[in-house]
Amino acid sequence: MSEPARILIQVRDLTVGYGDHIVLEKINFEVRRGEVFAVLGASGSGKSTLLKHMIGLLQPIHGEVLISGADLVTAEGADRLKILRKFGVLYQGGALFGSLTAVENVRLPLDEFTELSELAKDLIALSKLRLVGLEAAATKLPADLSGGMQKRAGIARAIVLDPCILFLDEPSAGLDPITSAGLDALIRELAHGLGITFVMVTHELASIFSVADRVVVLDPKARGIVAEGAPNWLREHATQPWVRQFLNREVA
Amino acid sequence: MAVKTPVDLQARWEILAGPEGAFTLTLEGELDAVTTPYVWERLEKELAAVKTASLQIDVTRLAYCDSAGLALLFHLSVGGMTPGVTGTVVGLSPELRHLFRSFSREDFQAFEEHEPACSNLVEDVGDATWTWLLDLRQQVEFIGEVTLGIAGSIFRPRRMRWKEVMRVFEIAGVNALPIVSLLTFLVGMVIAFESAQPLAQLGAQVFVANLLGLVMSRELGPVMAAIMLAGRSGSAFAAELGTMKVNEELNALQTMGLSPVQFLVVQRVVAGILLAPVLTIYAMYAGLLGGIPVLLGLGFPLPMVLHQIQSGLHFGDLAEGLSKSIVFGAIVASVSCLRGLQTGEGPRAVGESTTRSVVSSILLIILADAVFAAITYTLGK
Repeated sequence: MSEPARILIQVRDLTVGYGDHIVLEKINFEVRRGEVFAVLGASGSGKSTLLKHMIGLLQPIHGEVLISGADLVTAEGADRLKILRKFGVLYQGGALFGSLTAVENVRLPLDEFTELSELAKDLIALSKLRLVGLEAAATKLPADLSGGMQKRAGIARAIVLDPCILFLDEPSAGLDPITSAGLDALIRELAHGLGITFVMVTHELASIFSVADRVVVLDPKARGIVAEGAPNWLREHATQPWVRQFLNREVA
Repeated sequence: MAVKTPVDLQARWEILAGPEGAFTLTLEGELDAVTTPYVWERLEKELAAVKTASLQIDVTRLAYCDSAGLALLFHLSVGGMTPGVTGTVVGLSPELRHLFRSFSREDFQAFEEHEPACSNLVEDVGDATWTWLLDLRQQVEFIGEVTLGIAGSIFRPRRMRWKEVMRVFEIAGVNALPIVSLLTFLVGMVIAFESAQPLAQLGAQVFVANLLGLVMSRELGPVMAAIMLAGRSGSAFAAELGTMKVNEELNALQTMGLSPVQFLVVQRVVAGILLAPVLTIYAMYAGLLGGIPVLLGLGFPLPMVLHQIQSGLHFGDLAEGLSKSIVFGAIVASVSCLRGLQTGEGPRAVGESTTRSVVSSILLIILADAVFAAITYTLGK
């Protein structure tokens, strides 16, 4: 695969902020097809803000977010929907609809965007739940699921339309280490088994070292990216001492 | 059998009959969420028309297949279109094989067999009665706690957070004045218009002013102000306390040794009790102001209208209106706070407690108004 074809997401000269407050200024990076890419940074460094701009929830002050070469920032109507269909998003709490069972939550995008029969939709939704290990909880309401199960169900819903990219917002937040490790294993399985590209925003170092192929590190003082590379490599070779400290969990 | 290719369809298929009912289904092109529904429907009809002993599904030449296509392959493989005959899928890429394995007949059967719990009328009635009794008990306990809290604040005034009372007073009172004025002004106008004609038939049109004064001071002033307080501020109390409960702020208060009732509810109830009479007086005046232009339009001079209003009103009427408003204020504030504290878990909980607060407040306002009407009627005999 040639280098341009491998690049799935391009963030170019992206400046984001709230009103006059600039959070990130002219940042550039690329995400390659099939990799698990992580955005890392301390609290308040703009990780979640960056994610919201990458998935089109917020409009940047300046710059582009290209997904498979199409600019999400300027796209409208059907073009925008076409880009949105390329990715799924897992929100911090799973964002399941409380009045729907797990299988109904997963089925929802199929109901809205396809003409498939009821049988086909049930089969697909159940297969996604099995992929994330929730086949036994298909008929349970979100309130009856644990935090980890809700996130798994959220992933099942996010992949039900077979997107090529999955954005994860703090996937390990609020989970115990065992559940968190289980979720990491699921991310690896989906990335390697199905070829899904993952973009995750997190400050959980265990997850980063467990699943991420590459990371970018955001620094609130620099209002941008201060390091980029494989997490283990950065731990030893990052030029910024702060990044090495951060990755090695050392007190400054 | 010939290859079927609709002009605009990217998927193609061919059913080849072999010896002794052995059939081979070859799929080509793209099986995705767009093409699969059509292919599914057509295959169902075509396979129903043949007698199969075995079925091989060859997907070697399938260029693209997503979950929708895999659902079709799975349905074919478990004999969904050839009853009693399962199919064998050949030619799946390793990536698709991984996804295909996630389809399970057992999962589907378990899902199909799952029946939502049926409700039983007797159980439902029992549950509802029990819930009602628990709610009643909570209300009684709550009234006791609030009364103790207010009494405690009277004896130890430093416990009362007057700053919070003033904040609630401003938000629920001062900020509500425009809407209270507008609504009661219009209600006053409507009453004047509606009563003018029937009274004119009796030659008593001048008594519209008396009627307006009585209705606004004894009934509509307090009731309108209380309903506005319930809809605008009571719902806000319930939502605020409900959100605090969801965010575990109430737990934090309790673990600090502070009573949520003393810390949050007493201030709101005191503000409600002080606020409701003020809003009521304002509503009375706005209602009268709404009726006066109508009376002037009917040809009555202003001094005469004012005289009629004054002569029709007695101190007892105003006192009745104001005493009602104090009770209404206490009802709205305390019921709304109680509903807020009763907020459950989940994203819908705050919305539900807000709705319950408005419904309960309005119901109790009308109930209390009826009790007041009965008492004043009996006393007036």
